[in-house]
Amino acid sequence: MLGLLRLVLILFVVQTIAYIGLSFYSRSLRRRKLELRWSEKALPVDQETFVRRGLTRYDNSLRRKLILGVYIVPWIAISVLIYVVNFM
Amino acid sequence: MAYIKWAFILTFWLLLGGLLHYTLPQYDIVRIVNTYEERQDLNDWTRIFWSSPDDQSASLAGRDVQFIQGVRENGKPIVYRNEDTGWGWPFYFKFDTANLYTEANDAISTKGNPEWVSILHYGWRNEFLSTFPNAISIKPVEGPDHRVINWFNIVFLTLLAAIFWAIWVRWRRFREARIDPVLDDIGDSMDAAGDSITEKRGRFRRWLNSWRS
Repeated sequence: MLGLLRLVLILFVVQTIAYIGLSFYSRSLRRRKLELRWSEKALPVDQETFVRRGLTRYDNSLRRKLILGVYIVPWIAISVLIYVVNFM
Repeated sequence: MAYIKWAFILTFWLLLGGLLHYTLPQYDIVRIVNTYEERQDLNDWTRIFWSSPDDQSASLAGRDVQFIQGVRENGKPIVYRNEDTGWGWPFYFKFDTANLYTEANDAISTKGNPEWVSILHYGWRNEFLSTFPNAISIKPVEGPDHRVINWFNIVFLTLLAAIFWAIWVRWRRFREARIDPVLDDIGDSMDAAGDSITEKRGRFRRWLNSWRS
């Protein structure tokens, strides 16, 4: 079971790096999109407020929580693989 | 410089290709003729071609390994090893070595009355280094002409190519936006510095020459 422990630990570190990286990347994408949308339309709010409001909405969105899949999807894949290789 | 650069690039792709070819699953259609167990020494560098199952201490210098002997349709022999991969690399999560050994023994057939099986495996057979591909699963097939479509490899390699392409495109964009202008700047100022040095040297030379008579 030491092997399992090692896999869990290494995978956790990799997943955490991927999670942090993806979070920042996705947020910066959203910010760029919001800035673009602001400059396309003539809105009564200034750009900073518009972007800040949009990002708050993004922080509470399901889309952002989907990034947590980084922690779940590999373990689903591993479970399926274990079943297919050993029990099918 | 260009040669060194290309040597690096070539080495990188060769190593990556080798790693993928070693690790990714492949199918063989064979007839299993026998199985055997043999003690293997694991104390030299070819250790990397054997598995390290969970219940094995790292200091072990040798152990029994199960082998599955097969014959291809063209009559050429192929020998597989049968080892757990456990939780480690390569990530096949194979724990059913004993079951697979039973299945292999069950599928033994003769030349006169052949039973064909498709063996999923990874790894290389090398006679000089005594390495063997590791059998992962055995499925009976109707005949030696049976073709298995390797969906996993198709999907995996496509995804890998997509990821490489995505990184490559972003890196090139980043280089064009951030690094190339800086390099150009450096190049320009180097040129400027070079010019002024040449000019100064010219003046110095003229001054030296002025002492000649």
